[in-house]
Amino acid sequence: MHLIDEDTALVDAALKGSAHAWEKLVRRYEDRIYNQGLRLTGSRSDAMDLMQEVFLGVYRNLHRFRGDAKFSSWIFRIAHNKAIDMKRRKRLMPFVSNSTDQDGDMLDSFPGHSSLEAEEVFSERQNNKAILSLLSELPMNQRLIVELKIFQSQTFEEIASIQEVSVNTVKTRFYSSLKKLKTISEEKNVLS
Amino acid sequence: MSCLRTPHLLKEYFSDELSTVAREKIEAHVSACEYCRAELTDVLEAKEILEGWQQQKAPHWDRGSELFRREHQTVDQHLTFWDRMRWQLIPTSASFLMLLLVLFNLQLSSDQTGFTISFGSPAVSSSYLKHELQIFDEIQRSELENAIRQLEVRQDSQNMELIRSVMYKNQQDMLSGLEGIYALFEDQRLRDLEDMRIGYQQLMDSDYETLRSLRQLAQYVSYQE
Repeated sequence: MHLIDEDTALVDAALKGSAHAWEKLVRRYEDRIYNQGLRLTGSRSDAMDLMQEVFLGVYRNLHRFRGDAKFSSWIFRIAHNKAIDMKRRKRLMPFVSNSTDQDGDMLDSFPGHSSLEAEEVFSERQNNKAILSLLSELPMNQRLIVELKIFQSQTFEEIASIQEVSVNTVKTRFYSSLKKLKTISEEKNVLS
Repeated sequence: MSCLRTPHLLKEYFSDELSTVAREKIEAHVSACEYCRAELTDVLEAKEILEGWQQQKAPHWDRGSELFRREHQTVDQHLTFWDRMRWQLIPTSASFLMLLLVLFNLQLSSDQTGFTISFGSPAVSSSYLKHELQIFDEIQRSELENAIRQLEVRQDSQNMELIRSVMYKNQQDMLSGLEGIYALFEDQRLRDLEDMRIGYQQLMDSDYETLRSLRQLAQYVSYQE
């Protein structure tokens, strides 16, 4: 079965009360939504909160989902809106503008890993830390565009629809975001 | 050093539906324009850095399953009236049908001509009714006679049994009575014999006294003489 059809089938089953279908649907998207939360908030706990809010929103609005749209687009739209709500509520951004992580968690601790694995994880997370550090310098609207375009592979039209701006504006913001990220990257390299 | 076309070219470079012709035009310009080339390299490098993100696994959580189950139960509890009635429709309909059958006195009868369904009291002719009553009366009478006959037979047998038991009882009583009478008579006879013996003794004693008195009287008379 095609992935999109499978999503729709799972949504239908969940609407009929199948807890198994609901869990399967959540499993398919939880990692992506969690990582999206990490990139948008820079904090594991906030990412977790965001993920739970997103799936709560998905559940509450599941009956409104129409099969003509991709479920992935729909859930990323919800995640986008929840991230903006969280930003307004918590005013946490920029989240890793300095070297001290507010949670002190995802960037420095590696629970349950051996030393070799921890080294690999450390390397991976150092990479992620650098990315988070760059993203933290972007304003929220640009960060969201980068998130949707690069990590969620949404088209400019879809992003324009989500952000309710023109496609041209999205394209310009995307280019500006990448340009700014490159500049910041060079500055940080010079500083480090 | 700058190029006026840079912003437009680079934002179009990432377009989703960029035609081959448009891409070739951009690439031709970029290869010719040092500034645009440098800009494109910068944004591609930035894109490459971001694409180096390592996917993290989401921490374990209950995936909202508990909420899902609870909410679903809640939804079940708030079913509409017709949703609830849907499962009670069959027994309710059956009860209603039974009520109608009782109210309209629906009757289903079968005879040689087939089945007949009728509402209310059946319309019958008086001759048919009379005939039916006569048959019913005869049946009742024969059944009554049979019952009486059986009752009589049973009564006779019971009477015989009763007489037999009474006679046996009487026989027993009589036997014991005769034995009592015999004992009584015997007792009486013995008592009478004793009385007679005593009487006779007294008589004898009396006679003796009389005789002695007579003897004395005779002696006295003789003495007087």
